[in-house]
Amino acid sequence: MDNIIINGMAFSMPLFIIAVGGIYSESSGITNLALEGLLGFGAFCGGLTVAVIEHLFPAGSALPMYIALFAATVGGAAYAVLHGVLCITFKANQVISGVVINILSLALTAFLANQINTAVFGKTSNKFLLAVSPRIDIPVVSKIPLAGAFFTSVYPFEFIIIVVAVMAWYVLYKTPAGLRIRACGDNPHAVDAAGGNVAAIRYGAVITSGALSGLGGICFAYSISSNFSPSIFMGFGYLSIAAFIFGNWKILPTLATCLLFGFARSGGYALVTKLELPGSYSDLVLTMPYVLTLVLLIFFSKTNHPPRALGEIYDKGKR
Amino acid sequence: MKPKNYFIKKVMVKTLGQEKSQGITIALFCIILSLLAGALLLLALGKNPLSAYRSILQGAGLWAKPRYAGHRSMLTDFMSLLDYTTPMLFASLSVAVALKCGLFNIGVPGMMIFSGFLATITVGYSTLPGWVARPLVVLIGLASGSLLGAFIGLLKHKFNTNEVVSSIMLNYIISYVTSFFIQTDFIDPLTRQSLKINDATRLTLNDAVLGNLKMDIPLLLPVGLIIVAALGFMLNQTRYGFDLKAVGMNSRASRYAGVTIGRTRILSMGLSGALAGLAGVTYFMGTFASIQPAVLPGTGFDAIAVALLGNSSPPGCLLASLLVTVINNGTTYMSSRMGVLREIASLLTGILLLISACRVFIQVLVQKYKQELENYYQTRKEAIHG
Repeated sequence: MDNIIINGMAFSMPLFIIAVGGIYSESSGITNLALEGLLGFGAFCGGLTVAVIEHLFPAGSALPMYIALFAATVGGAAYAVLHGVLCITFKANQVISGVVINILSLALTAFLANQINTAVFGKTSNKFLLAVSPRIDIPVVSKIPLAGAFFTSVYPFEFIIIVVAVMAWYVLYKTPAGLRIRACGDNPHAVDAAGGNVAAIRYGAVITSGALSGLGGICFAYSISSNFSPSIFMGFGYLSIAAFIFGNWKILPTLATCLLFGFARSGGYALVTKLELPGSYSDLVLTMPYVLTLVLLIFFSKTNHPPRALGEIYDKGKR
Repeated sequence: MKPKNYFIKKVMVKTLGQEKSQGITIALFCIILSLLAGALLLLALGKNPLSAYRSILQGAGLWAKPRYAGHRSMLTDFMSLLDYTTPMLFASLSVAVALKCGLFNIGVPGMMIFSGFLATITVGYSTLPGWVARPLVVLIGLASGSLLGAFIGLLKHKFNTNEVVSSIMLNYIISYVTSFFIQTDFIDPLTRQSLKINDATRLTLNDAVLGNLKMDIPLLLPVGLIIVAALGFMLNQTRYGFDLKAVGMNSRASRYAGVTIGRTRILSMGLSGALAGLAGVTYFMGTFASIQPAVLPGTGFDAIAVALLGNSSPPGCLLASLLVTVINNGTTYMSSRMGVLREIASLLTGILLLISACRVFIQVLVQKYKQELENYYQTRKEAIHG
């Protein structure tokens, strides 16, 4: 039972922060299917940073990890500019742009990782090894039966994600900037009439989504595989899209969805181990979050209220 | 006043300004831009782009290699190119048909595995003679693909589920579930893939002897060409094609015009799925003869690029799928010859895709330049006469 909670949290937290990124972008009216590519590119930047700076630190130091988290955030934000340019400045179809960004991200990171490994580090591999992340037991509360598992062997990044997510929630719902972002997704013409710069606000939102996705990406890299490799493109970005659509483009319901996904996944794995099924059954378990998403989408899509101007290209001249 | 960058604008308007031929000219423009970007990339890697591009053509069977192994020639490579093009063509047509109806079918990879897997386990391991087995494989591909496509369309119509998300979920579900069955029942322990199917059921004649050459002959390529023509006819000449495009352009307006949107969407997703199913059987039971578990075929994703590049028109898809396959196939040879990483193929495709996504922008830009130049000519004329 404890394992289900520990692993479930480690999976749902990165998923959640990526979904929050998606909410920022979509609240401002820019459809963001690029989350998958953004998280991969962020993880790549983090992995690369670790590979470059690792030897400067004593073995076992946790500092490179924090630097990697930061680098991934910046890298994701930088890559998201591309999505912004395509969708906002070049007025490309936002769905197509998102998919293009994903395909390019996979190609680019695979190529660069290989090229840099060959040229700089002299080995043929498309991976950057990351050190194993330390895990923390919080004293006292971790001793509580059952609920204590939420505080046992926690990845440090989970705290960072919670802090960032609270900040993101506050900015989006309690500040004028957040109001403007949401207004851009609802009625960009009103924002324009009120003197706001729709393009600039949307760029800000898309870049934020890139930053948060990059952060989520490197967290996945640390928790799942302790390395960056092209196998980071496992569809978690799409899963987080499903999470916030099911969460009705609101942060708190999205958190609930992400927790559900995380526990469905870890619970399934625990079941396979418990029943001593052969390893191939883990393939079936892997489908659980996806099946759940599909079923939930079928039941709840009718009542969904996406931002009204979502996916529409803002055209000043159009009334 | 003469507009800034007068010469560039004039050239762009002259070459890209004709609205009738813009579909082709802008696509060519995108290709040239991405080839230039690729050339810069190759230069940065310290390779000669011209010889790199030539070795791509050589690898794809469009330019003679310095030497060939026994029973091989340029024709062998070219037939292999066609063999890889066939599934790509079907997959891109699948994306294109859905796009025309305003739906984004990113579920092609999943549909390909679904149909390929079903046909493999039902017919692929049987000992039926070829003339029974092959049509059966095609039928199973068509049926399974169209069912899955129509299912996604139905979900969209009945429950308002976003087709992009639902088809992505189906991609992963199908990929893992088929992987489970392959791992438990049909695994070849040596190759870690599904057991090879019987040659008589394969939609490609593998190593067929022709004269003193051995080559792969894709049996369904002619069918693909017929479908290109038929789809072109359907989209441009029939009422259903008109409805389909109308829903894609403006679903509300077409509802007022009396089009049943739900039925049109479900039918077009069914058609798109049927084409994806054909892509699946020609890929997993033609170009290849086994399925790698838990891997979504890259062809399904590349097909999006191809459909975009071909402007979702059937003949455009044909040309674009040839082009992308040339890049994919030729790069293997290039990477071994020039010492460039194999991954550069998908990077080149990615760049091509990125630039093609901007085609609307290019179109608008050219239109703006045209207007600017016309204004300039007008004022000049007035200055001369007045």
